[in-house]
Amino acid sequence: MNEQIQLDFYKIIKTLKISEKEIQLKKSFLKKFIENGFPNRKQEDWKFLDISQIIKKNIGELSFFNDYSLPNKIDPSIFVDGLEHNKIIFINGRIEKIDFSYEDQSQIEINDEIGKNIKFDYENSLIDLNNAFTNKVYKILVKKNYSLKKPLIIYHSTNNKIKSKNVNLSLNFELEENSHLRLIDYFNDNTGKNFVNILYNFNLKKYSILKNYKLDKFRNNNLKYSFNNIEQDDNSISETFILSAGSDYFKNEVNCNLNGEFSSAFINGILSLNENQQHEIRSTINHQVENTKSYQLIKSVLGKNSKSAYQGRIFVNSKAQKTDGYQLSKAILLDETSEFNAKPELEIYADDVKCSHGSASGSLNENSIFYLMSRGLNYQQSKELLINGFLLDVVEKITDSEIKNLIKNIVGLKE
Amino acid sequence: MLKINNLNANIENKAILKSFSLSINAGEVHAIMGPNGSGKSTLSNILSGKKGYEVSGEILFENKNLFDLETEERAHKGIFLAFQYPLEIPGVNTNIFLKTSLNAIRKARGEKELDAIEFLKLVKEKAKELKFDEEKLNRQLNVGFSGGEKKKNEILQMSMLAPKLSILDETDSGLDIDALKIVADGVNTLRNKDNSFLIITHYQRLLDYIKPDFVHVLMNGKIIKSGGPELAIELEKKGYESFN
Repeated sequence: MNEQIQLDFYKIIKTLKISEKEIQLKKSFLKKFIENGFPNRKQEDWKFLDISQIIKKNIGELSFFNDYSLPNKIDPSIFVDGLEHNKIIFINGRIEKIDFSYEDQSQIEINDEIGKNIKFDYENSLIDLNNAFTNKVYKILVKKNYSLKKPLIIYHSTNNKIKSKNVNLSLNFELEENSHLRLIDYFNDNTGKNFVNILYNFNLKKYSILKNYKLDKFRNNNLKYSFNNIEQDDNSISETFILSAGSDYFKNEVNCNLNGEFSSAFINGILSLNENQQHEIRSTINHQVENTKSYQLIKSVLGKNSKSAYQGRIFVNSKAQKTDGYQLSKAILLDETSEFNAKPELEIYADDVKCSHGSASGSLNENSIFYLMSRGLNYQQSKELLINGFLLDVVEKITDSEIKNLIKNIVGLKE
Repeated sequence: MLKINNLNANIENKAILKSFSLSINAGEVHAIMGPNGSGKSTLSNILSGKKGYEVSGEILFENKNLFDLETEERAHKGIFLAFQYPLEIPGVNTNIFLKTSLNAIRKARGEKELDAIEFLKLVKEKAKELKFDEEKLNRQLNVGFSGGEKKKNEILQMSMLAPKLSILDETDSGLDIDALKIVADGVNTLRNKDNSFLIITHYQRLLDYIKPDFVHVLMNGKIIKSGGPELAIELEKKGYESFN
């Protein structure tokens, strides 16, 4: 891999208009990535789903070069119907369009900050890989007191021009004081066997609200990794909803730092998997100061030969009195070959806190199925009704009613 | 309508029903009374097609062998079981469930499925008859319902589905006297020359409100005595032990 990755790297560098200093920075990330390679099960955070093995098995040899010089044709049939929205369109990792036409243009700033790599306190080699290879890093800034009128949908599409490729993309968001953004990541793949690596950073200033909905619904053979870093000031709110159901592999990581008092973070997720799918949600919530709150609810429905994992870490700093932290994960295993892994972690250094966690898994309740069948429903209908009911309360946690309805339709949930 | 001949039922090699036989004709109301562990609930589970029992013998419903039919097919043919412990189904709206159930049965009978408006009209009418809080119809099925509300919900389902044979498994347990009357009214409304009932109970109390045609005493998996309504009164006075 090493020789190939270096060649691919220099090919990409040639297409980018960046300074020598920026090139050196990218080189340092490449060097770090080559030293560490893809994460594997020896690392605690990757012990349930070993991305290095999964890439080998599902893709084989990866190519890291992407030609970003030519535009891709946008297929408007992928657009979400029935909801007016702003758009950012990625096709094969290339930004094809940024469209904020519903908004007051003076209230949003968009700049390419390719040279300014985003720094976090959290590290893994996939972030290095992303920083080395990403060709654009747009920073989107929402100005003070501005609430976007319409949601922003980021389309992540792939087409048959790419295969066995690693695609890296990165966005940096800043929500100034008392601003509000609803952001939907919408995955739509027309090709498979690629590894898509997505890195987002969010900086939430006082009283700002971010709602991020990640919707991976359509079955495809790509492998995906998404990392959200969220920094939160006083009284800010972040709400993350993850629908993880389409790709062969998807790991969603959310790293959230509650740095300001009365800030809160909510993470809700559905993992609905079938034949040969392996998905994971891993969250870290760092309660750094007093009076912060976090809430997490993750549910899995696992068909034959599928596997899901939830690793949820709640860290409470010694200063962070009056922390309220909650996490619950539940799984329904539909087949004896289904597998669910949960690892809750609470690390608490303050004494006046309220933290709880729970995890439960099992098969569908046969008595409930008997009850429904005795009312004339067949086995399939009964099963679907119970699964629908099991998942519905995760979707009910979505606070935006317009988007909640959209997601109910996408998931196919009935009230 | 229903003919049970020499039914034996075992669960994990333990005999629950032993050479159990019973015939119910159209329009009849039969009550089965028996102490705990006599096999009452096993009988209702087997009639509805619950899995997990080893069975032998024969059950004919309108001359069809019930053992050939799945649970939902029995419901389509007109068998209804009001559960002793109705299940809570989180996330499933009561109205949606009722509509799905009613339309599954109507479809199997070759009748037109009801649209939302027709359904709501019907369910509101039935809920009113049973003094069932309409607001509950928009809640998750049985979730947070009191014991009495769950039982009333069973009777509401029964009156919506209009079955030929209704089996009431200890529907009276946990009901206060007002709820008991409402449940009994629900049964009496549905009672006609074509519909039959099998009422399973510990106590004679429910039978004050639903007059049975026949009363059977079930002990140790067998019917040890059959008679008219007077048998229930005798039982209440003397207790089950006197029949042993």
